[in-house]
Amino acid sequence: MLPFLAYTTAFLLLPAGTVIVGAFQTQDGGWSIDNIQKLFEEPYRTAFKNSIEVSVVTALVGGALGVAIAYAAIRDGTPRWIRGMLTTFSGVAANFAGIPLAFAFIATLGTIGIVTSFLQNVFGFSLYDWTPPGSDTTFSLFSKTGIEIVYLYFQIPLMILVIAPAIDGLRREWREAASSLGASSWQFWRYVGFPILFPSLLSAMVLLFGNSFAAYATAYGLTAGGIGLVPIVIGFFIGGDVLDDPHLAQALAFGMFVVLGLMMLAYIPLQRVSSRWVR
Amino acid sequence: MEEFQEQEYEFLRRLEEERLDRRSLLRRGLVAGAGLTILSMPAGALAARKAALADAPMRGGAIKLSELVKEAKKEGRLNTIALPPNWANYGEIIRTFTRKYGIPITSADPDASSAAENTAVRSLKGDPRAPDVLDVSPTFAIAGANEGLYAKYFTRNFKKVPRAMKDGRGFWVGDYWGVVSFGVNTAVVSTVPRSWKDLLKSEYRNKVALNGSPLTSGSAVAGVYSAAIANGGGLNDINPGIDFFAQLKAAGNFIPVQATPQTIASGQTPITIDWDYLNIAYAKEFPAAKIRTVIPSDAVYGAHYCQAINATAPHPWAARLWQEFLYSDQGQLLWLKGYSHPALFTDMVARKVVPKALIAALPAASAYSKVKFASVGQLNKARAAIATEWPKKVGA
Amino acid sequence: MTPRRFISPTAVLWLLIGAAYFLVPLIATFLFSLKNDQTAKCCTLANYSGVFDDPEFWKTIRLSFVIALETIAFTLALLVPTVYWVHLKLPRLRPVIGFLALVPFVVAPIILVVGLLDLYRGTPTWFYAEPYGFLAATYVILAFPYMYFSLDTGFRAIDVHTLTEASQSLGAGWLTTLFRVILPNIKAAALGGSFLTLAIVMGEFTIASLAQFKTFPVHIQYVSQNKAYQAAALTLVAFGITWAAMLALLAVGRGRGAPTTQGAR
Repeated sequence: MLPFLAYTTAFLLLPAGTVIVGAFQTQDGGWSIDNIQKLFEEPYRTAFKNSIEVSVVTALVGGALGVAIAYAAIRDGTPRWIRGMLTTFSGVAANFAGIPLAFAFIATLGTIGIVTSFLQNVFGFSLYDWTPPGSDTTFSLFSKTGIEIVYLYFQIPLMILVIAPAIDGLRREWREAASSLGASSWQFWRYVGFPILFPSLLSAMVLLFGNSFAAYATAYGLTAGGIGLVPIVIGFFIGGDVLDDPHLAQALAFGMFVVLGLMMLAYIPLQRVSSRWVR
Repeated sequence: MEEFQEQEYEFLRRLEEERLDRRSLLRRGLVAGAGLTILSMPAGALAARKAALADAPMRGGAIKLSELVKEAKKEGRLNTIALPPNWANYGEIIRTFTRKYGIPITSADPDASSAAENTAVRSLKGDPRAPDVLDVSPTFAIAGANEGLYAKYFTRNFKKVPRAMKDGRGFWVGDYWGVVSFGVNTAVVSTVPRSWKDLLKSEYRNKVALNGSPLTSGSAVAGVYSAAIANGGGLNDINPGIDFFAQLKAAGNFIPVQATPQTIASGQTPITIDWDYLNIAYAKEFPAAKIRTVIPSDAVYGAHYCQAINATAPHPWAARLWQEFLYSDQGQLLWLKGYSHPALFTDMVARKVVPKALIAALPAASAYSKVKFASVGQLNKARAAIATEWPKKVGA
Repeated sequence: MTPRRFISPTAVLWLLIGAAYFLVPLIATFLFSLKNDQTAKCCTLANYSGVFDDPEFWKTIRLSFVIALETIAFTLALLVPTVYWVHLKLPRLRPVIGFLALVPFVVAPIILVVGLLDLYRGTPTWFYAEPYGFLAATYVILAFPYMYFSLDTGFRAIDVHTLTEASQSLGAGWLTTLFRVILPNIKAAALGGSFLTLAIVMGEFTIASLAQFKTFPVHIQYVSQNKAYQAAALTLVAFGITWAAMLALLAVGRGRGAPTTQGAR
């Protein structure tokens, strides 16, 4: 316990501390909450809204798809080698990000991507002229939806890796017992499988949320900051050629802290409730 | 002095009284000696370092070039940062420097931004890996100079550099400039747009891209500035440029993706708004894309980058030699070979030292005659406007 | 009831959907990488040989691998006992550590590295200027959330108390219990966490580049920004190599004996 605490303090808490402190300072060294107040104005408010929205969507969708695919690979009847391939592939894909990922999707779903061209040439269907149901603009990879689609590429594998041990814990005997009592697949999941997996699902989705919230390079490669997301805005202030306000960047980082902190706060009571079901 | 004598006297007295035996004396001597050596080491090192820094000259004209070369060779290395090989021919410049003077160059972080360069100077202070020389955008050059990150140095040719392109105090010098251009992939686009107005035509749907976002990329800011000049704004008012891009986006022509060599080569970004030297270089690199570089007829906006020397450079002599090299005819012509306009371009043309072939590789000089440069004050105002207006009008 | 012998149709469906989504972009990249950079048409392997001929490729990939192994070892050594202890004795601390685990996400790498560089500038050069020291230490922090959540899930799936009591009632000490009883049971979780750590190190760019270390991701970024077709080839090569490394890790993990619970199969 002690070495762990010492290590995290030295390498994590101290630098994090400088961020929190810096959020309340100004360029000339004074103290102020100006930067924090700015967070509530445009465009930062939109950046937070966008980041939260993208993170929630990819956590939920990525989580659901991840569980489905993981279960498909781990359950009875599936050849064992599929699991090995899937987990190792997920390990790589979970960190495949940045410009290579952005370009891979541009090459697939971009204006002249292979899928776009395929749909055009084979089905006469023009993807970029199509308005998805429930939206008021035509489809574009370079939009919030596009970012969500691309983010799933590392969200789903992350879910697969984290939930696999939990699925292992769903003992086969339980499934057998349930069906011998006449339960259907759906009933098994509703009354046995899902409640047992729930605590792990929850922590996994929190991880996915955090992962998506902090992602930077991929979104930049895809939309060059056209869609405001918090890490991208931070990047503008710290790493760019144009703007230069490290304290505002720290205030933004502090904002990220708060959002994630609130998530954790909501997560704790949920955890306690759901783990009771397992005991 | 007196203190020492007193101590000595004290010591001798004690010696008499306590009859220190030889061993404890030896021990004390050793400890004292070790302590003094250790303590004096940083002091010694610091002194040696200070001596070195103190020696590196402030004016290139004050010492002989051969002496500069000798001291630089003694240092044995040069650290650079943020110099992509295909950017204004830096690849060849680095190779030529190393070949000519036998000083190897460590080119770190070629894709770093200007902000990252200044950060590297700050964070790596005292580290032998710190960058010796920098090539930053004017905003960061000024910030760095004011923060004391740079050393003062006047190259031999400092006087010949146009006033608008240098810092009077000697902290930085403009190195090369270029103008905003359209890089058009004629394999994908049949009619080449000639002006900003042309870009709004419906045949360019989903085809126009910037080199990054104006909130972080200097080249993108320049693009917006150029659009502003073409649409009734000017160096003092960048808002019409922002409005133009909002219009372009509403028309469906603007794709908010960063133009990289991959998107250019694949034809995903067939019309790239970027520096002329970059677009011309892409044309050579991807002949299949048949890229034509066009300087918009309704606006010619240019900007330069700035050379600076790290105040705490680990190799100060090599850094100064690098600058002398860059501002010599050889260095300047290498920049010209990279399709940019070096700082001493007008002077070299007047002296007739520029090979015709190099001039021919650039767009006609007449296109450049109307070029406008923004002052730092104007740039700051523009940045502030972009920071608040761009996300509102163009971003989501 | 005998275990199902053939793969279920729903499983096939999900696996196919997954395969389509994950493989198509890779195929797109592959097609691009086969293009000749002069004519922009298929098909040539010149881009791949370009990748392998580059000495920077070999230098950086070796460096990244070594750092990855170092990070995995360190993180496991640090976290396995800690998570074990928390699950066994201090369940109240779980949310606290969980929160700590989210901090690395929040402190954007760019801010983290500037803070770290500042703090540790005075340390001896063998730590600070060497990637094996400073960078690996930082990567342990980055890997921490992933490893923690993996291990946490793993520990949750086994009955820690019973196993420990049983082992101790048979006379085993703490270390023996940890290594011979607990560890084999959380193997899947530890392996999953290790995969993630390997991938993180092989994919992390911001910190390495700001701290001026030439790791493999730094090399990839450089090629992506400067060479169009080779970048696509390099991306796929990097993908393939990392995947192979994981399969190797998996084989090593399997070789140490099977876990005692059978799980869903």
